Amino acid sequence: MSRSARIRLFWAAAVVFAVVYTLACTGLPHFGTTVHPYGSRAVAASLRQRTANVVSSINFDQRALDTLGEESILFASVLGTTALLRHARDERVGRPRAGRVLPSTRLLGLVMVPLTLLTGVYIVAHGQLSPGGGFQGGVILATGLHMVYVAADYLVLKRIRPLGVLDVADACGAGAFVALGFAGLIAGAAFLQNVLPLGTFGEISSGGLVPLLNAAVGIEVGSGIIVLLASFLDQAVEVRSETDSGSGERT
Amino acid sequence: MVRTADLLPLAVAVPLLGAVVLVITGRRLPRPAIDALVTVWAALEVAGLVLLWLRTGDGHSVSWLGGWTPVHGESVGIVLVGDRIGIGLALLTSALVLAVVVYSWRYFDEPPVAHAGTFPALLLLFEAGMVGFALTGDLFDTFVFFELMGAVAYALTGYRIEDPRPVQGALVFGVVNSLGAYCSLLGIGLVYARTGELGFAQIGVQLTRHRPDALLSVAFVLIVTGLLVKAAVVPLHFWLPDAHSVAPTPVCMLLSGVMVEFGVYGVARVYWVVFSGPHGIAEPHLRATFVTAGVLTALVGAVMCWQQRHLKRLLAFSTIGHVGLFLAGVALLTPAGTAGVALYVAAHAGVKAALFATTGVLLDRFGSVDEHGLYRRGRELPFVGALFTVGGLALAGLPPFGTGLGKAVVEHSGQERLPWLPAVFVFVSALTGGAVLRAGVRIFAGAGPRPRERYAGPETTGGGEEPEIRDPRRRIPVPMLAVPAVLLAPALAVGLLPGPGVALAHAARQFTDRTAYTAAAFGHHVGPSAPVPDVGWNTEGVLLGLVSTVMAVLFAAVAVWGPVLRSPLVGPVTAVCEGVGRRVIVPLRRLHSGHLGDYVAWLAVGVAVLLVAMTV
Repeated sequence: MSRSARIRLFWAAAVVFAVVYTLACTGLPHFGTTVHPYGSRAVAASLRQRTANVVSSINFDQRALDTLGEESILFASVLGTTALLRHARDERVGRPRAGRVLPSTRLLGLVMVPLTLLTGVYIVAHGQLSPGGGFQGGVILATGLHMVYVAADYLVLKRIRPLGVLDVADACGAGAFVALGFAGLIAGAAFLQNVLPLGTFGEISSGGLVPLLNAAVGIEVGSGIIVLLASFLDQAVEVRSETDSGSGERT
Repeated sequence: MVRTADLLPLAVAVPLLGAVVLVITGRRLPRPAIDALVTVWAALEVAGLVLLWLRTGDGHSVSWLGGWTPVHGESVGIVLVGDRIGIGLALLTSALVLAVVVYSWRYFDEPPVAHAGTFPALLLLFEAGMVGFALTGDLFDTFVFFELMGAVAYALTGYRIEDPRPVQGALVFGVVNSLGAYCSLLGIGLVYARTGELGFAQIGVQLTRHRPDALLSVAFVLIVTGLLVKAAVVPLHFWLPDAHSVAPTPVCMLLSGVMVEFGVYGVARVYWVVFSGPHGIAEPHLRATFVTAGVLTALVGAVMCWQQRHLKRLLAFSTIGHVGLFLAGVALLTPAGTAGVALYVAAHAGVKAALFATTGVLLDRFGSVDEHGLYRRGRELPFVGALFTVGGLALAGLPPFGTGLGKAVVEHSGQERLPWLPAVFVFVSALTGGAVLRAGVRIFAGAGPRPRERYAGPETTGGGEEPEIRDPRRRIPVPMLAVPAVLLAPALAVGLLPGPGVALAHAARQFTDRTAYTAAAFGHHVGPSAPVPDVGWNTEGVLLGLVSTVMAVLFAAVAVWGPVLRSPLVGPVTAVCEGVGRRVIVPLRRLHSGHLGDYVAWLAVGVAVLLVAMTV
């Protein structure tokens, strides 16, 4: 198909889609209604479960199987990406050279890296109380580590990044979620049932299983994203094709 | 002792846990230990699902995750519901995964050295996604497992990164399927906004309180779009041949054997439980649209299959042809049609996986899957040739194979309303089976004149493939020969033994009974209302099966020996064939351009046509 034919075909279909979809949206309930059937039930349930953050209660208690599926998607994606971005037989690996960084940048990095990591841990640990949780905190943890790449260079990042350990941590996080699901079965209840003591509403130890699942997801997401980015950085910084035999790029 | 309800979440959790264990131990263990571990794990999953199948019987097994059983008919949780069709499909998947695991014992000797557990771990994650998809009773959860299935499948497709073709195939697969998934998510959003529910049964109950309007039809079309992309229904099918022809052979066995069929299963499940109630989607409208889509898919798949010389591409197009038949059968919206499709899918999975497995042997031996390049070279492999030929005959619907029985049951169920339907089934089976037989006769018997190496038209040859195994001089590993032979046996058993047919007839009645499913999800039991469909062999079915087989043999014979035939008829016939080829087939082949932009444009067209057809 020629370029113009393709674009015309697509737009014709897109216009039909837009018209019919808009028509369908006129059947939606209006904005700002006071009652939502699922919303009211979910809030009531999360209060009963003494989990202040309703979103966490839905994600890790009421609909925990969805989250198990989602974190498995992340686990699979990390696994798949490392497999796809492995070094092929015809790829050559060059050693990246050290880069030059302004001392002020270095200093800022030195201050910010521990602060960001601490923020990440805080967000993971308080998922049952305030907005945040394992997914969000895990991403912050991973980004915090990569500030080293900005503040120093790739070689330093590589030195402080124990990929072998993180690989295993990623798998352990994913496995811990499943294992915590078995806790319910062992206690004679359902899979993924929140059978732990629920604690006091608003305390950090409240929510029963929710903080533990958050921690598992936090470990998995944090280490998973680092491994994921490591595969991409490795391709971008270290690997070069056979034709380009120059030594490492500046990082 | 495990409770029956707990077997449902365990069926998802066991492979997930297996993947984790394989990733962690895969760095330390030697290759044989990893193979042993994954085999044990896959066998464990099969055992669990067999137990679930036996204990559930003709009823439903229901598990509310997290103990969120409904109170006053309302729940905030997710439910897994196992009925015969869902559990059966999960069981089929797990059995095929076990076969694939055994088949790949000696596969992939090298990559990636540091992560020897990656490939089997991905297989188990794939299994978890498919089993979860088969057992879930929740619309959003369906989407999550759909995505898990997809994410793993993209990675598995592109696994041989040394070759640019798998990477391209995986990219096309990923982009087109993700766009379909976005459509599904939009549809789920519409339904959720209207009902405030995500469970199949709960949405179904709520929807009966609204009039049928544009929102209902649009939501239905959008939700099934992702599933139709997965099922490779024309014109959303373009990704499939590009992905299935380049994926590693063990992965192809799973993709073509069960994953594509999950698309049809999803459409049928969503329709029957969510949209088939009073004030739901109108039955005649749906039947007309989806039977048309199925027949179109079947014809395009069969014609394109016949045109291929790249063996894996040929098998991929034959999958499209058969999925079209499955969709048409399910869209008859009768218990008998559903029962026929269930039999057909079960037998087809074994046959198609066996055909891919034998093609893998050719790839292993000769580093090629080109029908023309392999001419006569397969003569040293008579056993493989026999398996390939039996596979071709089974694909054509030869009685008493299960494919033939499934085909006969669907034909019988559909011909009252659509008298031309059996003709489509016979033609599509004959053409796809004939294409396989043609390739088999040329490769393994060296029959007919040597085919030309080059053509002027658009073509994918299939030569110059990387062998997937390093050392082609060693003997063929026993599992690579045993697995296809074993896979053909159940395909025969499904047609020959009365047990599977009776079980699937009950299964189909249960599957098409919305009231029973809804009641079961809420913990009640409602007896079946419809009679059990009749799924035995009858004279007409046997005859139609024989007709399609004879036609397949004739097609193959004409293709192989036609060029050397000396008869006054040959000239005009050849001229007619070439005329049809120029006007119809060459343009059709040009549509399969491999250009991602084209595929996305066709996806948009497909969705637009469906929206208009179902809304107006």
